[in-house]
Amino acid sequence: MDILRFITAGNVDDGKSTLIGRLLYDTRNIETDILESVHSGNNAALNLAHITDGLRSERQQGITIDVAYKYFTTTNRKFIITDAPGHFQYTKNLITGASNTDLIIILIDARNSITDQTRRHSQVASFLRIPNVIVAVNKMDCVNYSEAVFNQIKSQFLTIAAALNLPPLVFIPMSALHGENVSTVSENMAWFSGKHLLAELESALPAAMHSQKNRCTIQYTSDTGNGQWGFGKVISGTLNINDMITIYPSLTNSQITALISNGKSSDHACAGDNITVAISGNAALKRGDIIAAGNDVPYCTNSFTATICWLEETAPLQLNSDYMLRINAFEVLGKVTEILHKTDISNFEKYNDDTPLGVNSFALIRIETESTVAYDLFADLPNNGRGIFIDMGTNNTCGVFRIESE
Amino acid sequence: MNTSSPPLNSPNYLDSLEREATYIFKEIAGQFKNPVLLFSGGKDSTVLIYLAVKAFAPLPVPFPVMHIDTGHNFTEALEFRDKLAAGTNLRLIIRKVEDTIKEKNLDDASGKLPSRNFLQSYTLLDAINEFGFDACIGGGRRDEEKARAKERIFSVRDTTGAWQPYNQRPELWDVYNGRLKKGENVRAFPISNWSELDVWNYIRREQIPLPSLYFSHRRECLIYQEKLIALSDYITIDPTDVIVTKNVRYRTVGDMTCTAAVESNAATIDEVISEIENSLISERGETRIDDRFSDAAMEDRKLKGYF
Repeated sequence: MDILRFITAGNVDDGKSTLIGRLLYDTRNIETDILESVHSGNNAALNLAHITDGLRSERQQGITIDVAYKYFTTTNRKFIITDAPGHFQYTKNLITGASNTDLIIILIDARNSITDQTRRHSQVASFLRIPNVIVAVNKMDCVNYSEAVFNQIKSQFLTIAAALNLPPLVFIPMSALHGENVSTVSENMAWFSGKHLLAELESALPAAMHSQKNRCTIQYTSDTGNGQWGFGKVISGTLNINDMITIYPSLTNSQITALISNGKSSDHACAGDNITVAISGNAALKRGDIIAAGNDVPYCTNSFTATICWLEETAPLQLNSDYMLRINAFEVLGKVTEILHKTDISNFEKYNDDTPLGVNSFALIRIETESTVAYDLFADLPNNGRGIFIDMGTNNTCGVFRIESE
Repeated sequence: MNTSSPPLNSPNYLDSLEREATYIFKEIAGQFKNPVLLFSGGKDSTVLIYLAVKAFAPLPVPFPVMHIDTGHNFTEALEFRDKLAAGTNLRLIIRKVEDTIKEKNLDDASGKLPSRNFLQSYTLLDAINEFGFDACIGGGRRDEEKARAKERIFSVRDTTGAWQPYNQRPELWDVYNGRLKKGENVRAFPISNWSELDVWNYIRREQIPLPSLYFSHRRECLIYQEKLIALSDYITIDPTDVIVTKNVRYRTVGDMTCTAAVESNAATIDEVISEIENSLISERGETRIDDRFSDAAMEDRKLKGYF
């Protein structure tokens, strides 16, 4: 059994929470006492959305404000569901939820077709490079299960997918409320030849961690009387005992003399493994270091071009002001020296203007850092080519970026 | 679409959960000056200690473990705590709710089944101030309760310990932002993504010892709102109460006054796991009296500094 993490994104009334409630219900992952608490007052109909709206205000207003996580298992898989808000103002919460997923379900209300929010959710999927995208055209019961409506939405969405370079898509017509094409095939949509949603979820591949680049992040170090131990994780490739390594960004050379992988002494560790290492000579490790072995080495510069999504509501991105940048465990002061262009979410076209970059907006920027940073391009190795901006005054995470070029 | 037959080389789900948790432990050690692991005597915090030991091997865990002793604990949980601390060389800090009640002249919990759940937050916040803890690590899981399902892995609490559910920091990938202002602290939840069954399957796989309370034993209980409450000196027994002796076990371990036992003959880990797999009732729904007061009981406690 493995784990698949997925997120549902959609407009306010597209039925996200109902869909999640339906999946949990159909896979018998809701216990009786929780079912009792979601039966709505007068009628006996299930208010499936109440299962995920965990905060009082969410239940009162009938909307999802922040990400909620739910869990269910089938015989093959443990699923981690991220239920994310649909409102524009909560896009930053959507990004939080989407950042750790293998798959996104973009919900579209068959009656409303594609909206600004659909474009925005697609842009988030593209920005984070979520490897699997399912487009669920929901509320088909409200459009007489019309194949023509479904096909029209499908062709409109394909235009968006091309503009955003999304991975190959799966389209599913469904009614979450009636459970059609969720975990059983719908008789009302016999014209649809694809699999139902649960079958797609069971066969999708989780995000792969395979790469030829050998990289480890160091998170913590401890000096004992007998030398130093560095604690971290292999983020890509492999690490072996006796490997000759270079420590970035200091460019110090050394060798692995002891290796513990996931709590046990080992000769070998690979992507995803937690490691403890000792190294030879006088070299020392510190939090934030990247260890690389082999010929395929990281970039090591103090400026680069990145795509940013701004996440702070109360203040826009300030040009030429210091922010704390963080990539894996590495922190460095940096500033944005230039906005190369912004992206218009209505058509994904590039534009320039003099207004500051506000919350939930995307732009291509030039970043300069106070000291050298060791990174990879997001396109080559996402988990060493991405990071966050931290506001030095509030300590808030105010932006998220992916590195596009040197 | 990125599909094919079920992937052959993807890691086992328990390995994935373990790696996520040990990674979080190292982030805590790397980012905070003075973290503490909160231990309750229950299975979740026991697993947490096991994971911390694994994360920092070959060195000892670089922070202490703290138990907020409500004074209403099961003896078995206390004995287990002391044995575990001795066996793992952990530094154990104990702070008592009873002392907080005396120092602050607070009203003790009262009623038939007095719960010190609410008072626990005062003792915790005092201890945070006393030791200057900047990160408190807890065994909270998102599948336990709907307010917990909304919390970040690193949950920033303000100077009064309160959670701000409508203003949580964005949390991207595994890049956890633990930067704090003076007086703030972080509650960190390494096993957020584990379910009750995941915890049990991990305990079975790793052969982690647990307090005997989790397995079937004979116990004298009173029946309260159809739930079995262990007889103890902390509760009031009325002449009309129905007292029974049954084979029971605990599905969660909290205070004796507000944790209900479940009738069970499950005496081994395998039997417990098959019992949970077949259970139609959630963990907290079956065993916690304290969540039953309102739809938002947990959210309200968290707003006031509770874990």
